[in-house]
Amino acid sequence: MGRPQISRRAMLKLTLGGVAAVAGTGALSTLTRRGDGILDAAAPPPPPKYFLAGTDGWISLPGTPLPPYYPDTLAPSGKSTYVFGFADATAAGGATRLVNTNVRALKNKAQAMAPIMYFEENVPAVIRMTNLGLQQRPDLVDSHTIHWHGFRNQIPMFDGEPTSSVAVPVSRVMDYYYLPRQAGTYMYHCHFEDTEHVHMGMTGIVFVLAAQNKTGNGAGAPIARSNGGAALAPLGYAYNDGVALNDPRSTAYDREFVMFLSEVWNESHWDDAHIQLPDWTDYKPDFYLLNGRSYPDTLAPAGGTFDAVGQLVPPAGRPDLVSQPYSSLIKCNSGERVLLRFANLGYTKQSMTLGGIQLKVVGQDAIQLKGRDGTDISFATNTISIGPGESYDAIFTAPTVSVETTFLLYNRNYDRLSNGGTGAGGQMTEIHVFPAGTIAAQTAPHTNP
Amino acid sequence: MRKHIIRLLLPTALLAALAALPSPSRPAMAAGSLPDKGLVCITSPTNTFNLTTNSGSISTSDGNTIWMWGMSIVGQPFQHPSPNLCVNEGATVTIALSNTDPNAAVGRVNEPVSLIFPGQTEVLADGQPSQPTFDGAGAMTSLAPMAAVGGTVSYSFVADKPGTYLYESGTAQSKQVQMGLFGALIVRPSAGSTFVYNRADSQFKLGEEYIALLSEIDPAQHQAVELNQPFDYSTYHARYWLINGRTFPDTIAPNGASWLPDQPYGALAHIEPYSAANPLPAALRYLSVGTEDYPFHPHGNHERVIGRDGNPLADGTADLSYERFSIPVGPGQTWDALFNWSDAESYNSISNPLPVTLPNQGNTTYGQYYSGNPYLGNRGTLPTGQESYNQCGEYYHIAHNHALNQITNWGTTMSGQITYVRIDPPGGCH
Repeated sequence: MGRPQISRRAMLKLTLGGVAAVAGTGALSTLTRRGDGILDAAAPPPPPKYFLAGTDGWISLPGTPLPPYYPDTLAPSGKSTYVFGFADATAAGGATRLVNTNVRALKNKAQAMAPIMYFEENVPAVIRMTNLGLQQRPDLVDSHTIHWHGFRNQIPMFDGEPTSSVAVPVSRVMDYYYLPRQAGTYMYHCHFEDTEHVHMGMTGIVFVLAAQNKTGNGAGAPIARSNGGAALAPLGYAYNDGVALNDPRSTAYDREFVMFLSEVWNESHWDDAHIQLPDWTDYKPDFYLLNGRSYPDTLAPAGGTFDAVGQLVPPAGRPDLVSQPYSSLIKCNSGERVLLRFANLGYTKQSMTLGGIQLKVVGQDAIQLKGRDGTDISFATNTISIGPGESYDAIFTAPTVSVETTFLLYNRNYDRLSNGGTGAGGQMTEIHVFPAGTIAAQTAPHTNP
Repeated sequence: MRKHIIRLLLPTALLAALAALPSPSRPAMAAGSLPDKGLVCITSPTNTFNLTTNSGSISTSDGNTIWMWGMSIVGQPFQHPSPNLCVNEGATVTIALSNTDPNAAVGRVNEPVSLIFPGQTEVLADGQPSQPTFDGAGAMTSLAPMAAVGGTVSYSFVADKPGTYLYESGTAQSKQVQMGLFGALIVRPSAGSTFVYNRADSQFKLGEEYIALLSEIDPAQHQAVELNQPFDYSTYHARYWLINGRTFPDTIAPNGASWLPDQPYGALAHIEPYSAANPLPAALRYLSVGTEDYPFHPHGNHERVIGRDGNPLADGTADLSYERFSIPVGPGQTWDALFNWSDAESYNSISNPLPVTLPNQGNTTYGQYYSGNPYLGNRGTLPTGQESYNQCGEYYHIAHNHALNQITNWGTTMSGQITYVRIDPPGGCH
């Protein structure tokens, strides 16, 4: 039997704070890697690109009252619904990503959806996560984890499934290390008591940018604009497609947006705020969210900037959406290729329909749609049926318009578009197509200029 | 000594023993009579299977007991699900269903039954084409000729397409299939028993063949049948979700576990990492008799879907297979997948340690399958009082339905459609 072993690193008895200080000084470009891409053991880990704080909070959903569950009478002014979630502590933590006063001030400031994260293929990555506890439920001392859903050949320590390794208790911190070797769209969530923590909102999207962005490919696709390519080059490639830009198998895109689906069952959210427990087999969602908001709020301006102490700044004119920083409005020019990264961490299947523009589905579950021998199995559709835990990469080419023209992206399950009552709501947003050359190039994923 | 993983199940076993309806005349399935892991097949040298209707109780991991119907080989005790039947491509298969539930309980199978074989063609019933039956007024009575109570119908067909199939009741299906009259039929290709299809790229490692037959239960319906009472199907509401007739953690108990006498089929996969010396993947056959898609999510690695409903994903020589981290098995569907797990980064504590420092023991919550050491094949010191089912530093990856409301049992969390993949260090636990 294997005797208990103590790793060399553990022998150093470094505290995480000590490591953070070291990590903060190590630039990614200085890392030495062996030929197989594995970090040399002597190299410091890269500094955490993202710093997540697991906690609780309150969000604002527009809908028909459902007493006593919605709106929750305990909710602060302007808010309606109790959530668990991840706050983005990256700014609050500063360059050293330490659990400082500013980070601790994010307790009860969870955001919905969790921060969009992205990494580069074959580049080591670290996510730091701390557990700030639940302000509304001090009696619940739940641990949290990060499960990168779909990460290939993961070891249990960084998989975040708490029975097979470890979880992070209240007021503790852990670094999750990844060497992503496969481009594509993934998702992440807390896996601790996952039926509850996932539904309560500890969910978000993570994607891996293709290595082909840096090099182009031998078939003539150029270096991507995201990596210093020419002004007319694509912003990026969804996958290492290996084909020319005009090849039907190309995965080039000029803009990219996240379409993250989740759900809110009012009763269970109310239960968690009021020290009750639901029977999860009674599950029946009332709200269907797109990027953490329900229509028409999906069209409200984006927030997502931080003040001097790392607290979210509300979207213009919408203080109630301070913890829901992601708009779902898409703006693009005629002729541009727009990549939509869909992921669903609700518990029911949705049918996302783009009216009037064809979608080309090029990837599913972070895999380009092709057989082992390269056979193209991508497909065109207007409706993507997306079940729980699935992701899709779909590209559309914006049609030619002479004036700004609006297209609708919506859940074809119409019964889910009512915000729990009457009227339009739920998983619905707009795509605004402008005449060619009208709006500036996209500079960061999921943003409009 | 480490506790063996099956210790986890002892509390459940005790509950089951206390709760299960006694059936003194029933011989318990002999412990150790089945291989611990993998697909357990019933085969016949003549490809003839004599089944009888049967009934009995299963236990769920929340301590409940659920009344079920089923089919078993004549003379064998009730089991759930009905037997996995395995035949070879080209065989003329005969399945004689006798409607002779030996049980005396009021909730026994006491109505006409039949079988259908989705995916099979030119099925005969007592030598005539099997087709729907109608009463004198023209109302359909069954999807296939029925065996009256006490009677027998003999179905036969040529199993000409390798793959994974269901066999299930074709009569009052909303009742009879839900009550358990279903099972898996595996047709092995002429390429050999370690291939899923007649394609070289469908080969799997000998002994690494798994099955996940997914189902659900509305306990109110089962109670109504147990009491021989009517049930209003407009009130149908599933509360339990099962793999191979078990709910987690019973799913990871071995095949033939003595404390689950009527639920013989386990669902724990047990593999070693991919390597040049261990190149072949494991095979996993998914089937569903549920009422909606079950989006099954294996952790650790994608699975490669190579077949659907008994058809290889290929167009001539062109490969149409695909990798997925979600296998959404719909009602009546079967999905064939291959999977492995690679120790891709080859971490070890001496020459290739984890690139980040882990929080120390006091700053983490340990899981019950964790060895206390992050490296494959190593064990670490566990917190005082920590329960561990880890044997030698092997890894565990969960595989579960990602409609997370369905990994609960009527209010009990961390149950339902969950199983695990156990990954031993190369060469196994020593």
